[in-house]
Amino acid sequence: MDLLAQYLMNGVMLGLMYALVALGFTLFFGVLNVIQFAHGDVLTAGAFAGLAGYALVVRAGVQASLPQLLTVVLAATLSMAVLGAVLGRTLVLPLKGAPALNVLLATLMGGTALRECIRLFYPGGSQPQRFPALLPSTAWALGRFTLRLDNLLMLAAGMALVLGVSLLLQRTRTGLAIRAVAQDEETARTMGIDFRRVVLFTFALGSALAAFAGVMNGLYYNEVNFGSGLLLGVIGFSAAVVGGLGSLSGAVLGGFLFAGLQTLGAVVMPFASAYKDVFAFGMVILLLAWKPTGLIGEPLGERV
Amino acid sequence: MSAAAQDLVVEHVFTAYDRADVLVDVSLRIPAGSITCLLGSNGSGKTTLIRSILGLTAPRSGSIALGGTELTRLPTHRIVRLGIGCIPEGRKVFPRLTVVENLVVGAYGEPRREVVAERLERVFATFPKLAERRTQLAGTMSGGEQAMVSIGRGLMAAPRLLLVDEPSLGLSPLLVQETFGVIQRIHAQGVTVFLVEQNVHQTLAIASHGYVLSQGRVVTQGTAAELRADPEVHAAYFGTSTTEGMR
Repeated sequence: MDLLAQYLMNGVMLGLMYALVALGFTLFFGVLNVIQFAHGDVLTAGAFAGLAGYALVVRAGVQASLPQLLTVVLAATLSMAVLGAVLGRTLVLPLKGAPALNVLLATLMGGTALRECIRLFYPGGSQPQRFPALLPSTAWALGRFTLRLDNLLMLAAGMALVLGVSLLLQRTRTGLAIRAVAQDEETARTMGIDFRRVVLFTFALGSALAAFAGVMNGLYYNEVNFGSGLLLGVIGFSAAVVGGLGSLSGAVLGGFLFAGLQTLGAVVMPFASAYKDVFAFGMVILLLAWKPTGLIGEPLGERV
Repeated sequence: MSAAAQDLVVEHVFTAYDRADVLVDVSLRIPAGSITCLLGSNGSGKTTLIRSILGLTAPRSGSIALGGTELTRLPTHRIVRLGIGCIPEGRKVFPRLTVVENLVVGAYGEPRREVVAERLERVFATFPKLAERRTQLAGTMSGGEQAMVSIGRGLMAAPRLLLVDEPSLGLSPLLVQETFGVIQRIHAQGVTVFLVEQNVHQTLAIASHGYVLSQGRVVTQGTAAELRADPEVHAAYFGTSTTEGMR
């Protein structure tokens, strides 16, 4: 039972990270019908930007962990918001009207270049980097299950972020513009909506979410490396597709579903837990065969 | 500014769109305060002209100006914010937005909340049915109700000039009549209307003057009475033109 609780907690943490990544994929697809395959590498770059911010404040003599943590989070999310908008402006918008395959390829290459830049130019970037433990290390032992405060804090922050994005989309003027563009770009433009601004804002938002997931991933495992975002990107993409590309709730559902499948794989096959990803991806393939358009058929915008 | 200074003037516009639907040297004037109509059959280029005015399909050459402001180099959202509202062909409501959200999007260029709220009340006064259905998703409404949403949304921008593209498309005769009545009422409130239609008789009944488009060219123009008597109108209506013939 205790072991199950531990698995469950781990699953929820992973699910939230996947959901945050999947949200980006679903937002980009919603407004522009594109798959942005540099997204996983943006996550990595976010984690490294946070790390760089940390190194800077430490060198500046900041000792307290709260300002350090804030620096890491802000450096990661803000810089990736900018990078995301730049990627959208340079790799995605110019290819509007070209086959979707071109955007996929351009972003895949852009992501590879980004990953290689981290490996080559970040000091010691080719080696895994230690990610500082900036959250309180308080933990409660409940039998064999250890409830950690840092996990709870990350969970709360991540959940708040997901909720915040949902409120932004449902309640604000900008959110209304995003939804309108997602449903009918041309008509949205004839309503006076600045299409390019909406697209760039969406890319900034989605990329900041990925950066947050990158920081979360670093804090959770106390380590990042230049390839961290590869698998997370693929998982986030799968989660978004399984949930139904273009659907917000689908992305969240897909993220937790994937983590659930991984956990299930680890629980039912404790002798072969290394195969949990094989199991999870295999299940995703089966799910897609059963529901090719994803679990939630209520996308952000109507699809053709 | 005088009324004439607010006219929308299209001069020598060439637009290449789909090969079947192009504009060839189109010139016309929509005088401020008028109901000007554009008649023509399917594929004559009517929608392409609307798209050119709105900047959705940029003309290859020529000029389109509203009150002296050149529109052809501006992005769509800037053109719209100059005071051009649009009721698109096929209504194009946002299916997964509620009625209220659809209407509020129509006023996107207006940042002041109280002004938007005021316009919303005015639209609800015109279409009381929309007030009852304010939280319904527009995609779940009937064609006639969607037409109301689309017209209301066009009014939310408080436009000086309203482009209305084939409002009768897909509506029952009764609803067509109602829609034309609404357009007349909008015009009576001081809005210039550019009405693009296939429905010759009802259109000429409310327009003061108009143009006939055939195969991307303006083949004839005149007052509503002149057009009613013009054989060219009937020729264009059937997709052929006596001066051009089928090419």
